This record gives sequence, structure tokens and C-alpha cells, in this order.
Amino acid sequence: MSHEKLLDRLWLLLVALTLGGAWIGESAEPGLAVTIIIALTMAFKGRMVVDHFMELKTANRTLRNLMRGFFYVLPAVTVLTTLFGDWLARLTTL
Amino acid sequence: MTASTVAPSPEPVAGRIPGNKGIWAGILSEMTEFALLFGVYFIARAHYPEVFRAGPAHLSTLAGTLNTVMMISGSYFVAKAVHAIRQNRRQACLRWLFLVLLAASGYMLIKAMEFQWNVSQGITGGKNLFFTVYYYLTFTHMVHVLWGVMGLMWVMMRARSGAYTPADHDGLEAFASYWHATDLAWLVIFPLLYVLH
Repeated sequence: MSHEKLLDRLWLLLVALTLGGAWIGESAEPGLAVTIIIALTMAFKGRMVVDHFMELKTANRTLRNLMRGFFYVLPAVTVLTTLFGDWLARLTTL
Repeated sequence: MTASTVAPSPEPVAGRIPGNKGIWAGILSEMTEFALLFGVYFIARAHYPEVFRAGPAHLSTLAGTLNTVMMISGSYFVAKAVHAIRQNRRQACLRWLFLVLLAASGYMLIKAMEFQWNVSQGITGGKNLFFTVYYYLTFTHMVHVLWGVMGLMWVMMRARSGAYTPADHDGLEAFASYWHATDLAWLVIFPLLYVLH
């Protein structure tokens, strides 16, 4: 697939995922499963922008790892805060 | 070369730094700033889970969703602008950059309407900790978009004057990288503030 076609398809996919995310936020019952779906969507969207819009997939390795790392860490912390919020609250109580 | 003749798009060199090192110092600073603010969000959420679960229901999901579409589309348009200049299509590059400006303007308009709507509903930064974090994150993001719009004006002028060529368009790539980074920050803000109950 050409780079231009890839950009076009990714744009449509990212917009579709955004609308899907909004639908989940409005209609789904809150819970761990929904949190995991939201976190995975966040990770996927970030990775696509980093790799293909930002073109870091084949660029400098340090920049690629730092930017990809953002979308490993934040979705993981989103789920972990749901699972271990009490522990985090205790850890950060002065 | 005439406008109708399209030069082959040179493949970006593997391992390169898109744009220049200076913009990446700025981008990594921006990402660090947002990482700290997200850290505050997670700690505040851990301390006040009920407040954070209830918070998104009071915000306009429509405004958050439309702004996400604006940010993603702006990112896509700027990627297309870079692709166009690599093919020596200067007018197409300018048209894509104009669409970035429209997306950024749309974002600003929606954000202004959203803030106004919030205030009319009694949603201010002092209402509770969720809204304090909401205003802190979204306002900081809006400021970064504003910086981006200034950069956008500059690259539009440069593109119009013919400063960018398929072989030399580092300035355009630098702006594109910054704009994508601002999009990335919003891709975290949207689910955390508008979707996650």
C-alpha cells in the first residue's frame, strides 16, 4: 500500500475509533473491561500517529522508543489506577 | 518542473530525525509536561474515584469528540502536506496546510463554546478536583495548539514563497512533528476526561 493510501485509511480508522470511543463513554456500563478497551484504543491510536503520521517507524530509534513509550505507559497506568487506586492513594498520601 | 509533473517522492532516510533537533527538544519537553499533568490526574483519580467517575457525565461528550476529530484531521492534513511537498506539489501542500488551519480554528471555536457552556452549567475549576484537572489539562493543551497555529502561519508563508522543496523541507517537517505531538497529547486527554467513567 502506498504511503498516501495508508494515511487516508488511517485517518478514517482513527475517526471511526474516536466515534466508537464516544459511544462507549455514553452508553457502556463502567467497569474493568470498558477501561481496558479504552486503554487499548488509546494505545493503538497513539501508536498509529507516532509510527505513520509522525513517520517515526523508520526514524531515529531513541525518539521512536520515547514516543511509543508514552503510549505503553499511559494506557497501562490507566488500567492500573482502576485496579490499584487504593494502593496509589495510600502511596501518595502525605 | 511544471505543476503537472510530479517528481517521485524521495523515501525518508532510515534512522533520521524528522524536522530538526531543536523541535524535538521542544516536543520532548511538551510530552514531559503532559506526562506530569497526567500523573496529577492519576493521583487525583486514585484519591477521589467517585468524583472522577461522575465528572465526564457533566462534560459535553460532543465537544470532546468533535475536538478529537479536529485534532486527528489536522494531523492527517499536515502529513498530507509533507507528502505533497516531497512530490514537489507546492499548491497541494498549501491547500493541505490551509485545511490544518481550518481544523485548528474549528478546535478553538469548539473549545470556546465548550468553556462557555460549562460556565453556564456552573462547571468551573473550583467545583471539584475533576474539573480543576480538566481545566488545567485542556487549557494547557489549548495553549500548545495556539503555539502550533503561530508555527502554522510561518510554514504557510514559507511554503507560499517556495522555500520548501522535495530535497529541503525540514522546517515543514519540524512543524508537522510538533502538530502531531499536540494531537498525541489530546489522544490521551479525550479518553481520560470525556470517556472513562
